[in-house]
Amino acid sequence: MSGGAVQRVLVCDDEHQILRALRAVLREAGFQVEATATAKEALVAAAIRPPDAAIIDLMLPDRDGIEVCRELRCWTQMPILVLSAVGDEAQKVQALEAGADDYVTKPFGPRELVARVRAMLRRADSGAAEPIVTVEGLEIDLARRVVRRDGTEVHLTPIEYDLLRVLIRGRGRLMTHRALLQEVWGPQWGDDTRVLRTHIANLRRKIEPHGSPRYIRTDAGVGYRFSA
Amino acid sequence: MSRRPASLLVRDVPRSRALGVLVAVGAVAVTTLVIYPLRHVAPPVSTGIVYLLAVLLVSTYWGWRFGLLTAVASTAAFNVFHIPPTGRFAIADAQNWVALGVFFAAAGIASALAELARSRAADAERRRQEADLAAEMARTLLGGAELRQTLPVASAKLAHALNLRHASIELGDVQPAVQDVAVALDLGERGATIRVPADADPQAIVGLRERVAPALAALLAAALERDRLQAEVVETAALRRSDVIKTALLRAVSHDLRSPLTSIIAAGDALRSPTMPAGERDELGGLVVNEAARLSRLVEKLLDLSRLQAGAAEPRRDWCSIEEVVGSAVEHLEARDGETGVQIALDRGLPLMRADAAQLERVFVNLLENARRYCGGHPVKVRARVVGGVLNVRVIDRGPGIAQRDLPFVFEPFRQDAGGAEHGGAGLGLAIVKGFVEANGGRVRVESQPHQGTVVALEFPLAAEDTVGATAR
Repeated sequence: MSGGAVQRVLVCDDEHQILRALRAVLREAGFQVEATATAKEALVAAAIRPPDAAIIDLMLPDRDGIEVCRELRCWTQMPILVLSAVGDEAQKVQALEAGADDYVTKPFGPRELVARVRAMLRRADSGAAEPIVTVEGLEIDLARRVVRRDGTEVHLTPIEYDLLRVLIRGRGRLMTHRALLQEVWGPQWGDDTRVLRTHIANLRRKIEPHGSPRYIRTDAGVGYRFSA
Repeated sequence: MSRRPASLLVRDVPRSRALGVLVAVGAVAVTTLVIYPLRHVAPPVSTGIVYLLAVLLVSTYWGWRFGLLTAVASTAAFNVFHIPPTGRFAIADAQNWVALGVFFAAAGIASALAELARSRAADAERRRQEADLAAEMARTLLGGAELRQTLPVASAKLAHALNLRHASIELGDVQPAVQDVAVALDLGERGATIRVPADADPQAIVGLRERVAPALAALLAAALERDRLQAEVVETAALRRSDVIKTALLRAVSHDLRSPLTSIIAAGDALRSPTMPAGERDELGGLVVNEAARLSRLVEKLLDLSRLQAGAAEPRRDWCSIEEVVGSAVEHLEARDGETGVQIALDRGLPLMRADAAQLERVFVNLLENARRYCGGHPVKVRARVVGGVLNVRVIDRGPGIAQRDLPFVFEPFRQDAGGAEHGGAGLGLAIVKGFVEANGGRVRVESQPHQGTVVALEFPLAAEDTVGATAR
């Protein structure tokens, strides 16, 4: 955590018990918590005193959590984590496209939640891009466009390199299929997930240890993230 | 037409007239030749009787008109060749006039009798054929299969029996094509129609309308009723089955939901005690979390299953790779329970497939959970390869296997074998697997050898364009 100041997290969930539990868990983890129960309350609270991060439930009594994400994104870049129900991948994708950085599925463990929030805050903090990123034996030299695995250079095609670069730039952040397609191929590629999957498979084949993906993680039906 | 000789007597199709005349003339000539040498041995009047054979023969085959013709020809031949003075049309003796008259009368009567026998036999044969046809129809229509399957067969048999080019029996009032004749059947509440070619033998159509149709109508009505009853039976069975499932669900819910709840409440309550030692507090806290997680998994499964049973699990199909799906299922399990010991051996360059990745992930999470539960410490393997345009994925464990008698029921919810409960399963996994696999166009089967292990084999047909390997781009 940077600066030593206590970081503030805005939490919005209409379920009173969950709100209470979240407050306890986050306080325990060293955050200051602003608890709200409706979308309106959350938006007002965020505007009055901008928090460092927000946790928004997707099912709110007055408005859709996705709309809250969209509205917050109009004026702030703070990390947003959404809470979603099991099995609704379409909703998760919508929330991510509306500006959410990540999601956790209810019911979630407190440890997982805190880890996600910390990871989001860390990303938001590290403003300046490092020229060389190293993750467990994988080294990506962004300035010279060189990738090494255990010291040996890995040859990537320009598209594979771009994919890896975009994933690494958002390290730990879940990128939807569409977001990756638009970043790497451009807006006209919209929904051709087939080409994306093919290149991800090729990229994995080149950089991952065989059999168990370590760097590029799959969120089935939602997207990919580069392991934090 | 029957191939038995008796049927010669009853050919419905009249034999050729020319042949009739030829046979009549031939028979008279042969008779004349045969009895000619006898004219010195027997009195001519008595040999005349032999001509009656010719008359009988012809009238039997060609009817009474030809019979009478033969009688006239025989009379003439008898007169010319046998009654003195021979060689011309004259009768010297008055006694011979009487004989000739008697002969002609006898020939006429014989011919009439033969004709009568002929038509009786024809009648009997027709009735027999109709009875055969009715029996055949009854066998076909009431034989067990559903009416919509048997109707084409019955139609073909009808056409064959009536010597028609084609015939079709259709339920409902059908507007016949121009070249067809329609015979309506009255089945009570609904109608049916037999269509036959318009250029068919009019006699056959009359027969069809007058004799075949009523019998067929009765049979069709019976078959329809049988279909209805059968549908009811199936429905009742389905209802009963769903009742069984509901009962099982209630039992499972009451047991599987209650027991973790009980421990959570008990542990939670105990945690409030201010005097509890830290170690115990920690232990109870862990218990609450674990039991709640167990509860959560069960609820998730119940939700999956009810979504599937309510038909609300519409897959969001998109290109996905089996490698990724299996990988993320393993990751999911590892995040939850730690090291899984699952060995993944997928062929390289497997093609992408169109499916709902999240649903397939649920499939593999359930399969791997099951396999690990029963694997008895041996590693669980996942294999995948493409064979003939079909993606085959196999999840293999070397556990105790499934008893042969339980195999047919493994996909039914709550039908876990006796040992399942103590392994912590609710018996929902395979039902969910089957539901999601089939929703995504695949098939699943289970092979198991007791004491050897179990293989769950999934098959997903790939569209022709999908079989391009992932490496091809």
